[in-house]
Amino acid sequence: MALIGPNGAGKTTLIRAILGLMPLTSGRIEVLGVSPAKARGRVAYVPQADVLDPEFPVSVLQVVLMGRSRRIGWLRRAGREDKAIAMEALRRVGVADRADDRFGVLSGGQRQRVLLARAVAQEAELLLLDEPFNGVDATTTDLLIEVLADLRATGVAVVMSTHDLAVAHLACDEACLLNRQQIAFGPMGEALTADLLRETYGGSAVVLAGGATIVTAR
Amino acid sequence: MIRQLLVEPYQLGFMRRALLEVVLLGVLGGVVGVHVLLRRLTFLTEALQHTVFPGLAVAFAAGQSLLLGAVTAAAVTIVLLAFLTTRLRIDQDAGLAVLIATFFAFGVVIVSRRTGYTSDLNQLLFGRILDVDRRQVVETAVIAFVVLVLVAVAHKHLVLVAFDRAQAEALGYRVVVLDLLLNAAVAATVVVAVRAVGTVLMVAFVVTPAASARLLGRSVAATMAIAVVLAGVLGWVGLSASFEASVNQGLRLASGATVVAAFTVGFCVIGAGTQLVRRLGARRGLAKAAL
Repeated sequence: MALIGPNGAGKTTLIRAILGLMPLTSGRIEVLGVSPAKARGRVAYVPQADVLDPEFPVSVLQVVLMGRSRRIGWLRRAGREDKAIAMEALRRVGVADRADDRFGVLSGGQRQRVLLARAVAQEAELLLLDEPFNGVDATTTDLLIEVLADLRATGVAVVMSTHDLAVAHLACDEACLLNRQQIAFGPMGEALTADLLRETYGGSAVVLAGGATIVTAR
Repeated sequence: MIRQLLVEPYQLGFMRRALLEVVLLGVLGGVVGVHVLLRRLTFLTEALQHTVFPGLAVAFAAGQSLLLGAVTAAAVTIVLLAFLTTRLRIDQDAGLAVLIATFFAFGVVIVSRRTGYTSDLNQLLFGRILDVDRRQVVETAVIAFVVLVLVAVAHKHLVLVAFDRAQAEALGYRVVVLDLLLNAAVAATVVVAVRAVGTVLMVAFVVTPAASARLLGRSVAATMAIAVVLAGVLGWVGLSASFEASVNQGLRLASGATVVAAFTVGFCVIGAGTQLVRRLGARRGLAKAAL
């Protein structure tokens, strides 16, 4: 499912609430049938790669292993099985050959792939991605969409925030239009209508001659 | 020659204890210091550096254990800083400045009421590493051991929080507890270091070897190992140099300060070295591109 809306619409806030990291003013959130606090560990979070310090002395493989830290536990070190799973996750996103490099030397797109690999290695049931396609190259975008499709085929639920309608179309079946409140929710085709988009984005939604609606960057 | 410089001074009991204390502080400071740098907690170390001073002064004036005074002051600092920044929403830097000046002034007032003002002040500010007694070395060793065990157990999780706080929270870790653990480790390190090398020089033990190692280490564990080795070796060299200069050359070099100077020289050499390697690498890259 794609969370679509302009900057400041509350996409990140909603994701943080689903993770149980935000106090709720009202209402209730159930994640995978239980409260967010209980669902932790079964939910994986993929932040934007550029919020992380590129100077941090940590290798690509170590970043992916962080996804398994709950399974590894406090006193144990990462075992052979954990490393095999982490390497397999890196292979799926196409950066296995960079496993021993420092995370920060990778390109923005490669770093985003590593963070997806970390979520894959966590073997979560729900994946929350915050603007995963921001500032990444076309190859990475295609690859991310492909890996996400694979994950969904194995029964993993995927929720991503994005303001890229084209990518949302390719990567998701359902959309939630958001601007301070839910404006529409449903299958991609029904939610992304010209009227609803205009309601979400205001003046920056433009209907083209062919009938397609695009959202211009402000 | 080398034997005379680096080995013979330690036939003296006080030099041996000083070396042991410096190495213990080096190991502790190296490990905790790397966490301090990764979490950008240098400000906390600096705050403690100054606010522990009145704790020492009160304990000193009352004839109580310096350790106790320092621990109390460190605990008060952490609570007050948390209160200022979270409750009153004062900027961390500003809160820090207020605390540092207030605590330090309080400390000076207490010390200045005593007769041996300058000598007391000197000891509190710069420490007396050569006066370290057996009991103090044992206390340092015990505290270092406890802190290192705790930090080692939580190592993975501390690194995770430092690298990606949101992920740590999403995985369900109690990030606040980990923060508290690290703050306590920093406070404990500051307290034992302050007693030996004084409030002014202490920060060098936490930050300088770790900062040097940060330039070389490719992983957190490697960075820590490098920091520990650097602190140990440079501490040894610094102590030896101050002994040689003071005893054999007639040039008085304060031992604590000489150790810190050795740390700084190490940092400069490593910094210059990495810059040079980078330049050469870049030039080689250009040459390749030109071909």
